[in-house]
Amino acid sequence: MNQPSIPAAGSAARADMDRAFEALYRDHLRDVYSYSYYRVGNHHDAEDITEQTFLQAYRHFERARRESNGRPLRPWLIRIAHNLAANYHRDRARRPEANIEAVEPPAHPHDTEQIVAGREELRAVIRRLDDLSNERRDALIMRFTLDMSNREIARALGKTDGATKVLIHRAIKQLEELIAAEDTAPATEEEADE
Amino acid sequence: MSEAEGHLELEALLADALRPIEPPERLSTRVETTLAAITEQAAAELESWADELSGSELESLRDPRNWVRPVAAIAVGTAAAGALAVVGMRRRRRPHGLVETAGSALRDLRR
Repeated sequence: MNQPSIPAAGSAARADMDRAFEALYRDHLRDVYSYSYYRVGNHHDAEDITEQTFLQAYRHFERARRESNGRPLRPWLIRIAHNLAANYHRDRARRPEANIEAVEPPAHPHDTEQIVAGREELRAVIRRLDDLSNERRDALIMRFTLDMSNREIARALGKTDGATKVLIHRAIKQLEELIAAEDTAPATEEEADE
Repeated sequence: MSEAEGHLELEALLADALRPIEPPERLSTRVETTLAAITEQAAAELESWADELSGSELESLRDPRNWVRPVAAIAVGTAAAGALAVVGMRRRRRPHGLVETAGSALRDLRR
């Protein structure tokens, strides 16, 4: 039964817990939303997952705080979002309707011609991200969107620090190869035409 | 370009492509509304439960094995009420508040 846990301590401890949750919510709403958005590729479902993440987090907050031994709770929060996003894809039993390929690079406040050209390059990177395994793509989102350390990503994914370091290294290497292959593909076709 | 330079360039591209997204204003409101809905649902559950009780049911509630439903409703409501306070909601949808309603229900059970 998944009932919310009720803080057993007195009102002072309860107030302290509420203040801590408020800080967690305030500090990481953007993290959870950003991660969810890049996982599902659309704002509507990202909002659903963000909402569910904080509801679940509140239910289990007291226990998480107790077991964290003072460590930051962001990896735990992102892990909740990660699991909810996995459920989202599993429930549909297919690729998401709007996957990461549908993601538009965030708009730059000063859109110049140079930046517009650069956006094509960013789109290509985002397109290729979808060719990675879920685990590799998720690790890159955690690293580059949330600026999480290897240790934080390891905690969020339930892996060791070493395995996480290897995972990220391989993800970047594979992405590099995919982009390089895309860049050389048209030239190869032209050569074939000749 | 060396492998290390290539990595750095790609990492810079990734950081740009995957920049954090600002959540829409409506999201905070939505989370608060959901928590409020849970609170109201729990309060309604308590009220309907109290309305439905017959004399024999009241008698049966002296047995702790029959406390699952009201305790579950109180648990949901209390947690949700706390969450509402946490996200800064100051709405007062019920004149006496859920915690007081839950406390009153518990006091009735003890009689």
